[in-house]
Amino acid sequence: MTMTVTTPPAKSPARSGGRLSDRQKDLLQKFAALGSLLVLIVVFSLTSSAFFTVNNGMTIALQVTSIALLGIGATCVIITGGIDLSVGSVLALAGVVAALAVKELGMPVPIAMMIGILTGSLCGVINGVLVTKMRLPPFIATLGMMLIARGVALQITGARAVSGLGESFGELGNGALFRVVTIGDDGFPNVAFPGIPYPVILMVVIALAVALMLNRSVLGRHIYAVGSNAEAARLSGVNVSGVTCFTYILSGSLAGLTGCVLMSRLVTAQPNEGVMYELDAIASAVIGGTSLIGGVGTISGTFIGSFVIGILRNGLNMNGVSAFTQQIIIGLVILLTVWIDQLRNRR
Amino acid sequence: MGYGQTAGEQPRAPQSAAQGEPLLALENITKEFPGVKALQGVSFNLRRHEVHAVCGENGAGKSTLMKIISGVFPPTSGRIVYKGQPRQFASPLEAEAVGIAIIHQELNLVPHLSVAENIYLAREPRRGFLIDRRKLRADAKACLDRLGVAVDPDRLVRELSVAQCQMVEIAKALSLNAEVLIMDEPTSSLTEQETRLLFKVIHDLKAAGVGIIYISHRLDEMAEIVDRVTVLRDGRYVATDDFAMTSVDEIVARMVGRSLEEKFPERTSRPTSDVILAVRGLTRNGVFSDIDFELRRGEILGFAGLMGAGRTEVARAIFGADAIDAGTVTLEGRQLVIRSPRDAIAAGLAYLSEDRKAQGLAVKMPVDANMTLANMDEVSNRFGLIDFAKHAKAAREYIDLLSIKTPSIKQPVRLLSGGNQQKIIIGKWLFRKSRVLFFDEPTRGIDVGAKFAIYKIMDELAAEGIGVVLISSELPEILGMTDRVCVFHHGRITGVLETARTSQEEIMHYASGYGRPDSRH
Repeated sequence: MTMTVTTPPAKSPARSGGRLSDRQKDLLQKFAALGSLLVLIVVFSLTSSAFFTVNNGMTIALQVTSIALLGIGATCVIITGGIDLSVGSVLALAGVVAALAVKELGMPVPIAMMIGILTGSLCGVINGVLVTKMRLPPFIATLGMMLIARGVALQITGARAVSGLGESFGELGNGALFRVVTIGDDGFPNVAFPGIPYPVILMVVIALAVALMLNRSVLGRHIYAVGSNAEAARLSGVNVSGVTCFTYILSGSLAGLTGCVLMSRLVTAQPNEGVMYELDAIASAVIGGTSLIGGVGTISGTFIGSFVIGILRNGLNMNGVSAFTQQIIIGLVILLTVWIDQLRNRR
Repeated sequence: MGYGQTAGEQPRAPQSAAQGEPLLALENITKEFPGVKALQGVSFNLRRHEVHAVCGENGAGKSTLMKIISGVFPPTSGRIVYKGQPRQFASPLEAEAVGIAIIHQELNLVPHLSVAENIYLAREPRRGFLIDRRKLRADAKACLDRLGVAVDPDRLVRELSVAQCQMVEIAKALSLNAEVLIMDEPTSSLTEQETRLLFKVIHDLKAAGVGIIYISHRLDEMAEIVDRVTVLRDGRYVATDDFAMTSVDEIVARMVGRSLEEKFPERTSRPTSDVILAVRGLTRNGVFSDIDFELRRGEILGFAGLMGAGRTEVARAIFGADAIDAGTVTLEGRQLVIRSPRDAIAAGLAYLSEDRKAQGLAVKMPVDANMTLANMDEVSNRFGLIDFAKHAKAAREYIDLLSIKTPSIKQPVRLLSGGNQQKIIIGKWLFRKSRVLFFDEPTRGIDVGAKFAIYKIMDELAAEGIGVVLISSELPEILGMTDRVCVFHHGRITGVLETARTSQEEIMHYASGYGRPDSRH
């Protein structure tokens, strides 16, 4: 025998089709999302006079916080090639736990809310362990968590809303910074500027922090590396299990925070809150260009994606479009943007 | 095994190749990929009643040529004439439809379907909307009987051996009434007995008028079945001969083309007696056992052996990618405790995988991110934030050092050629200041010119005192680059040879498990 060699691997196939360079396609994707956001704003401003106002802007920002916070967590998980279906249930559980800590245990609100957030973190830890140590597919692991967290939330509240939490519980969700109120001639308070709601500040700070983490930190680089090629990352010394776990814990913690914010806004803890929110979170990430195959995604994209969803809802509401039609339209938008993503990634 | 057999010792197959118009002719075929000319002006023809072997080293263009014939992609230029008519196949389905079938080395069967369902996949006999199961089974049985293979058509493919799967693939090709059958390394995973059966089937097909293109590295087997042989080298046509009129030596000479000295750089590093890496009694149950070797400063140590002999597995275990059951690894006098690749990397070991895309590179990420991935601490501050100035400087430094051709440091690595990808992986480990590098098939699928560059880098590393282990299935590469060779057979090292005083034959002898050549008879 002269040689024993396997067949040579095929020469890397030519990238055919697609006349645009990758950079151009990335820009196209960014502008597709951002452009559609601008188009939405223009259209709604023309069709409804109440749309383009400071007040409504703050309302939208407030409505978008929950989608954006969950979307930021979802983005990190999806970049590693995973998925987190449990966040809608986890936020309900976290909010309920925080409320019960105040009402049943008499804890101060900040500590109770911290416990709520940690409840979300714990759910994230469990998701991470199920995925990395027990090697369950992320879809299944977080599907299980979705059912379990919701079940626990319903169980500990007896499926009833927890109310009578006191004014301080509502501060986080309803308070605002730089609120300007003048007393009018008639003696009634006149809101000159509604202020920036605390949840909006929270959303912006966390988005900036996570964007910094993804773009500039070693941890962020490792998150992309795991999603791009987990085996290559492992053989380069990346702690793949640790990095993967981290993204689930981040997602769970953000779900916990979202739960506290939402329940605070209502000053009531609803165990049925947040149903299907995980799908909004995933949709905002995907609209923003995050690839479900992993390795690709940005916080800025997800931010735009969550505003696309939020503004669609708000604008359609203002134009009197029924909730059913809204679902149809949002569904179509998701399909359209993911299709553009497919075009971008087609080889 | 067929070691040492030559054409002269084997009974020749009856020469039944009909002369006259070829069944299939390729004229002046050229195929270009971005940055690579895979084929340049290759001509080839196949007659009925003929087994025509295509030989060449890795990267010679055999696979590309077969993909053009079977319609996977079109040639950049050139003509395909099939049964006297010029043809262009837009897809493998079109080629199949006119009777050109290919049996890939990595078999294309659906494991969870039965043999019969696989043979008639997407062509199931129907009765109305439903599959006619009885006819499906009967037709499949007829196909298998024609081959003389005793495989139950109702068995699931995942329960079959590799050889049986191969027979199912052949049966599928027959059911297509294939007139041209391409076999890519059909015997690489077969036992000798299974190979016999395959050869009998090939004889029968040949007698029935099928033209067979046979790709194999096992020149020794070819004598039994091959009528003509075409040699390709570096994407160019070299020669076509009647197998009876040539010899294995002549074919090898044509495949290699140049003498070894020209293919490999002059070695500048000199082995010393200073041991960098010592491995003692390394065992992974059921995979390899009692592996002992020493790597000395300045030398390149080769790991030779057949596929599956345990070379890659040993390297991966030393690197912590797979667990070991016993044994010690000592690096520069310190005994290492390695539980994961992270431990090995921290200690100064590096493993360059044989499968670059699956295990070596984060292909969606840019050049700079891949280059620094194993040593992020060096380019970040104590808060874990990346210092992008240092990051870019590191990437540029190794791009220059290794002459990596890339439009920018931000280019995604999947868009680079194989040679440049390999250099990025080397750069990654050099930036990590690795002390010992395991190169696992570093030149697989790489252009000839880039191969030379990789060899030169390996020599320079050894000269700088970095330990280099070269795992290779290509014996010329082992002979051309190493100072000593560990030969593996069935998970053991059967011999450690001085490269200067050994030969391909001696290495193959140890690799086949015969022990010392003089104790052979």
